[in-house]
Amino acid sequence: MARKTVFKIFAFCLAVGVVLTALSKVFVLKTVHTGDLQEGLYLSDDSYDVVFMGGSHMNGGMDPNVLWEKYGISSFNYATGGQPIAETYHLLREVLQKHKNPVVVLDVFYLAMSDPYGDDAWISIPLDNMRFSWNKLETIRDCTPPSEWIYSLVPILKYHYRWSELTINDLFYDNSARYYAKGFGAGTNRYGKPMTAFADTEEKASIPAKNLEYLNKIIELSKSENFPLVFVNLPCDYSDTDKDEDWVDDCEALFNTVADLAEQNGIPFLDYYDKIEEIGLDFPNDMNNAGHLNVWGAGKVSAHFGNYLKQNYSLADHRDEPSYAQWWTDYRKSSAYCVLHLPVPSWV
Amino acid sequence: MSFVSFRFLLFFPFVTFLYFVIPRKLRWIWLLAASYYFFMSWDAYAVLFLFLSTVITWLGGILTAKAGKRSDGKADFLKKAVLAVSLAANIGILCTFKYLDFFGELGSWFCAAFGVQAAAPRFGLAAPVGISFYTFRVLSYSMDVYRGDVPPERNLGKYALFVSFFPQLVAGPIEKAKNFLPQFAEAHSFDLERAKRGLLQMFWGYFEKMVVADRLGKLVDTVYAAPQSHYGLEVAVGTVFFAFQLYCDFDGYSNIALGACEILGFRGSENFKRPYFSKSIKEFWKRWHITLGSWFWDYLYLPLGGNRCSKLRHGLNLMAVFIVCGLWHGAALSFVAWGALHGLYQVVGLLLRPGKNRLEKRLNIRQNALWFKAVRAGCTFVLVDFAWIFFRADGFRQAVLLIRNLFRFDPAAFWNGTLFGLGLSVPEFWAGVVGIAVVAAVGFLGRGRDLRESFLSRGRVFRWTVCTASVLAIVIFGVYGPISGSGQFIYSQF
Repeated sequence: MARKTVFKIFAFCLAVGVVLTALSKVFVLKTVHTGDLQEGLYLSDDSYDVVFMGGSHMNGGMDPNVLWEKYGISSFNYATGGQPIAETYHLLREVLQKHKNPVVVLDVFYLAMSDPYGDDAWISIPLDNMRFSWNKLETIRDCTPPSEWIYSLVPILKYHYRWSELTINDLFYDNSARYYAKGFGAGTNRYGKPMTAFADTEEKASIPAKNLEYLNKIIELSKSENFPLVFVNLPCDYSDTDKDEDWVDDCEALFNTVADLAEQNGIPFLDYYDKIEEIGLDFPNDMNNAGHLNVWGAGKVSAHFGNYLKQNYSLADHRDEPSYAQWWTDYRKSSAYCVLHLPVPSWV
Repeated sequence: MSFVSFRFLLFFPFVTFLYFVIPRKLRWIWLLAASYYFFMSWDAYAVLFLFLSTVITWLGGILTAKAGKRSDGKADFLKKAVLAVSLAANIGILCTFKYLDFFGELGSWFCAAFGVQAAAPRFGLAAPVGISFYTFRVLSYSMDVYRGDVPPERNLGKYALFVSFFPQLVAGPIEKAKNFLPQFAEAHSFDLERAKRGLLQMFWGYFEKMVVADRLGKLVDTVYAAPQSHYGLEVAVGTVFFAFQLYCDFDGYSNIALGACEILGFRGSENFKRPYFSKSIKEFWKRWHITLGSWFWDYLYLPLGGNRCSKLRHGLNLMAVFIVCGLWHGAALSFVAWGALHGLYQVVGLLLRPGKNRLEKRLNIRQNALWFKAVRAGCTFVLVDFAWIFFRADGFRQAVLLIRNLFRFDPAAFWNGTLFGLGLSVPEFWAGVVGIAVVAAVGFLGRGRDLRESFLSRGRVFRWTVCTASVLAIVIFGVYGPISGSGQFIYSQF
């Protein structure tokens, strides 16, 4: 009798669980990153020689189509807005399931976030789009407060309110619609203001403990999985986040610490904050807002960084490989082609 | 830990499982520990006041029984003295937390009326959760022991469990000792059929709370947060929605509480009996918050003389009971006005009764005619709903403003979409209306029938389909979670 009851309860919970899991996919909020992550992590058959990881600065700062057009480098931008470094670590592990030994380019800006978790709405973007796995469970454990675990585990519990706004698009979401951008997303706004000058400093600020822990985990991962790691900090006006409650006060001092750590571990660190003049960045015209590059600024930074990659890593030029023909089709839809008007080679 | 929280969904099965697997002698200890943990999850420091009320009334019970055995003529005096101390201490704690600022303001206002300026200090004490409910429970125990209706409980632990029993701690039902205390001495075994019934009742409670009450609450909050900006139909719909929000919120809570009791093997008291089908205000109070009504009947209305006195005294008794009832709900003039209005309804009802009866006879109206019952129920609902304005408004002045605005009617509101800009989108609004219809239909179908029994006697496929669909309906259409939910019950604030 007791065994039968337990079986019935189990069967009922299982049936409800299966239906809820299936429905979760429909209810999950579809953002600009939904298709990017689904394609980049699971659906696309492309392999990437370089992957970009991190927050919104990286997402709007490195354009794989510029790298493709100029150097024939295959790359994908996995960065999403507000992504804490702990989540970047887990997302990188997910990326490495499919892409072995790519050059991993890590945006270090979010090392300055002092809040242990960050904003739930931002954290949800990668989490909602990761398939169920042990890594996903660990991401939930490490990146969300315990009170939110259940919502990350069964997303319909968080997104059920969308029942009244669901469309056919939620049921048959086209993940590939934006794949041509390879994850990159920058605005076309012109900020129009000069950068607030921050005096150079020799000071060193501590990296918040949780961020340092996960930065070290990423470094360890690069050694155990044998992939090259590059740290990058992109141009922004630090006054945008300076003195924020959940942000380290002196970003310059923090990135001095990052530079030391990079040097100790033999990891290149390209701080584009200090290379604004070198790359010819016109801050008022090349920034979308105080914190993010626009399409034109991203074009300049990506071109410079592509050259750096070409000089320092033996990356294949895939431009004339027949198996990459689709990349040129994708390129013609990209902002690099449509906005920057970078040319398509005559032989394509 | 609200009933509408994932913590409770883990807590309750865990408590239930251990309750039935541990030796029977230890079960009450386990429930006591669980109840105190439940209480402390709301408010850890307030457990001291819960314990204080428990100890005072437990000691009072023992001393009352001891005094009653004396044969030197002082027994009556001592019993009264013990009861007075016990009541004063508990009412004192309740008043300190709940009414200190209110009485201070009243005092200042009174002084000002006589030209004396005296600003009373504001203490702003946060009342322990459920204090109004557990205080009434311990007061009923003290008075029952004094009257000799129940023997005093010798075991402090079991008595503490009666006071703090977690399914009923936050918002009742307010159980009387004579009904509930003996149940802690019973040996409960797990009964699958009983558990199914309890679960069904909990499910229904969750549906009422999460799908209906909290959805309607969004529109109600919008209207009542800015009474100066809403008129006519908006106030009317907001107030009708509040009637169902409050009912579904509190009945939902009570159903979850009673279902949880049933699963554990306890028989709790019914708190609601389709109140909006009542055909008079008197009947409404026999169907709405029944355990509170019964408390006031036993311990205030009857001791004041009830209806076995002059008409004037009877009317005064009714007014006194309902004003105290209003005050019990909250320390504000608007609650007093709400209670007074219900008292007034009853007094006027008494005065008009002979004339009404004569008129019905002259017009040859059959009391049992469906149309007549429907008209009476409709009129009663209008009166009750009008009074709810005082209950919901943030103060007496806002209630008056809302009533004034209620009669500034703009017929365009019927078609210009105003109603859909009050915190609920078009589909959400209609989902709320469908929710009300479902609650009304279930109430209607449940007249004189045990709906749970009917459901459980149906085939397995039907039961499983309905259960799965119900869970999905609550998950999808419920208002909860980090983005839209509140999780708090209205009555847990009283």
